[in-house]
Amino acid sequence: MDAAEASHDSLMTRAMRPARNSDTGERIRLAVIAVLLAFVLLVLPSMLSAYWTDVATSVAIYTIVALGLALLMGRVGLVSLGQVAVLALGAWVGARLLFATGLPFPVVTIMTGLITMVLGSLIGLPALRVSGLYLALITLMLAGAITVVLATTDFPNGGAGFLGHTEATTGAHEIRRPSIATGEHAYFRYVVIWAALMFILALWHVRGKPGRAWATIRQSEPAALAAGINISLYKMWAFALASFMTGIAGALLAGSSGTLYNLTFPTQDSIILLAVVLMGGIYSLWGAVVAGLLIKLLPALLDNWGLPPDLLTILFGIGVIQVLTTAPAGLVDQFPKDMAKLGRFLWRLVGSPGARTPGTAGSE
Amino acid sequence: MPSWHDFQPFIVTGLALGGVYALSGAGMVVLYRTTGVLNLAFGAVGAMGALIAWDLINNSLWPEWPSYGVAVLFCAAVTLAYGVVIGPALARRDALVKATATLGLALILLGTMSWIWSDKARSQVLPTSTHAFDVGQVAVTWTQVVAFGLGVVVVFGTAAFLKYTKLGTAMRGLANDREITATLGVPVRSVEAQAWLVSGILAGVSGLLLSDLVGLDAVSLTFLVISSLAAALIAQLRSLVVTFFAALGVGLVSAMATPITSISEYRNMAPFVLATIALLWISRKREISFTGTGLGNGRS
Repeated sequence: MDAAEASHDSLMTRAMRPARNSDTGERIRLAVIAVLLAFVLLVLPSMLSAYWTDVATSVAIYTIVALGLALLMGRVGLVSLGQVAVLALGAWVGARLLFATGLPFPVVTIMTGLITMVLGSLIGLPALRVSGLYLALITLMLAGAITVVLATTDFPNGGAGFLGHTEATTGAHEIRRPSIATGEHAYFRYVVIWAALMFILALWHVRGKPGRAWATIRQSEPAALAAGINISLYKMWAFALASFMTGIAGALLAGSSGTLYNLTFPTQDSIILLAVVLMGGIYSLWGAVVAGLLIKLLPALLDNWGLPPDLLTILFGIGVIQVLTTAPAGLVDQFPKDMAKLGRFLWRLVGSPGARTPGTAGSE
Repeated sequence: MPSWHDFQPFIVTGLALGGVYALSGAGMVVLYRTTGVLNLAFGAVGAMGALIAWDLINNSLWPEWPSYGVAVLFCAAVTLAYGVVIGPALARRDALVKATATLGLALILLGTMSWIWSDKARSQVLPTSTHAFDVGQVAVTWTQVVAFGLGVVVVFGTAAFLKYTKLGTAMRGLANDREITATLGVPVRSVEAQAWLVSGILAGVSGLLLSDLVGLDAVSLTFLVISSLAAALIAQLRSLVVTFFAALGVGLVSAMATPITSISEYRNMAPFVLATIALLWISRKREISFTGTGLGNGRS
């Protein structure tokens, strides 16, 4: 158990470190992120074909969704099994608004985020009373319900009425993209900028008052209560934030696909999303990027190599079990050692200062 | 509004579905009470069993009954293997973690099924479906009778088993407190293994019945578990008898919405809506307190 506790401690210090670390290390880290972002925005698109740009755009969109779920799970300790259904909801709202109004794309994106936030918070409402397992099950049920409704209403494609869906091919239109980003490469850059904004929003929350409140709630609700933290408010806040981000991702997805289908949002994807977010790591914001790559880049790669994508589903399943069993106590408090190792590996990969040499990484 | 006459066939369908939901709900509740694991892979296990039976009958040309036997054995073996290998590693963890880990098993099975059999929808006709009799003007197949009957027998049989047998008492003890039960000399691992085995068998039987009643499709069968889960949740994962009646309710409401055209397409929402309302109703008076955070923190 000692090694496990040591790993737990290192996680705790890791979680607290950013708050008091504002020295040169922080600046170097920021510089590395800036260089990475510049590479992704300026160099990467020119290296990719239209197909891979499309894949990269989905990776960026799902990174936002994963970020929302990782915040819920890693920061507050709430598990949602229905985030892909919320994404579908966001895509529906986004598509509907894009057809119904002539408003600029960014305005519609923000509006979609806000509407999804309200709807997602309604789902989060039971979180205030039930907790843990029951909350996860409620989200699973509501995801199922949303899927049933969307299977009937289908997605807007320029038709008339509230639902905006027409079966006739003549009345159907593509969902528009922002005028500055109609091409594949431009739209990819556009999505990456939105993703970066969402990460800044997440970081701002995590490092500020909500982040500290969430950390306390995650550690112990009685302690949080004793410290005078409004538990209901901050849980709700987390749900609202995650739904807002997922809504933004939904609007971006609508613009990316042109036409939305129910097939894009299979029920099992909510579970696969949970798997990749767990595998990516829920305590580090980088985990969301890893999750995005796992859920969207790997299938494309496998497809490219002629391997069945079902192998990935199996792999993700093994991943979930492995992640959960190697951690001795609590999804909420202690994150699996292996994922911490993966986190450290990625940390070194992005050139964090003070990175440990591989020989000592596992023994801290 | 359709007339009473239009509803009659759907009452039969609903009762049969409700019976299977009760069957699987009982499997989940007993396992949860004994081991603290809410097996979300229950549906996936059953679906895989049904597909194996289908494959043996249609591709390997096996006779029917041995194929069904192999299917149920497979479900029992997979569930038992998971319980024996992964179960102990998670025994001291939160119920949420245990349930999440079973989603891993569900993904492994889903991936395997989609890999071997693709996502094509199939149909499986059990031999009991070839015979039917009339009740009034409604044709009832023997599969529907078996589904409802098994639901009744298993639920009330299990309830009696838990109450009157030594193993049942041990299981109830585990449900209350694992540590104390172990101190009293109950072989915890062995009792848990038996619960996993029983739950696996029930998963196999439910999978076979549902593949006939609903259709043989890996993903939908996997997620039909949500309907039984809804029943189990309405019973707060505790009472088998409440699970039974809740399961019948879920089955009846979803089936009887079929002839009402305005809501027909939304009938699959019934389990979700019923369970969500039930959960909110149950938790309406819970407040965050120093002794816990309401539902879901403990097992009893």
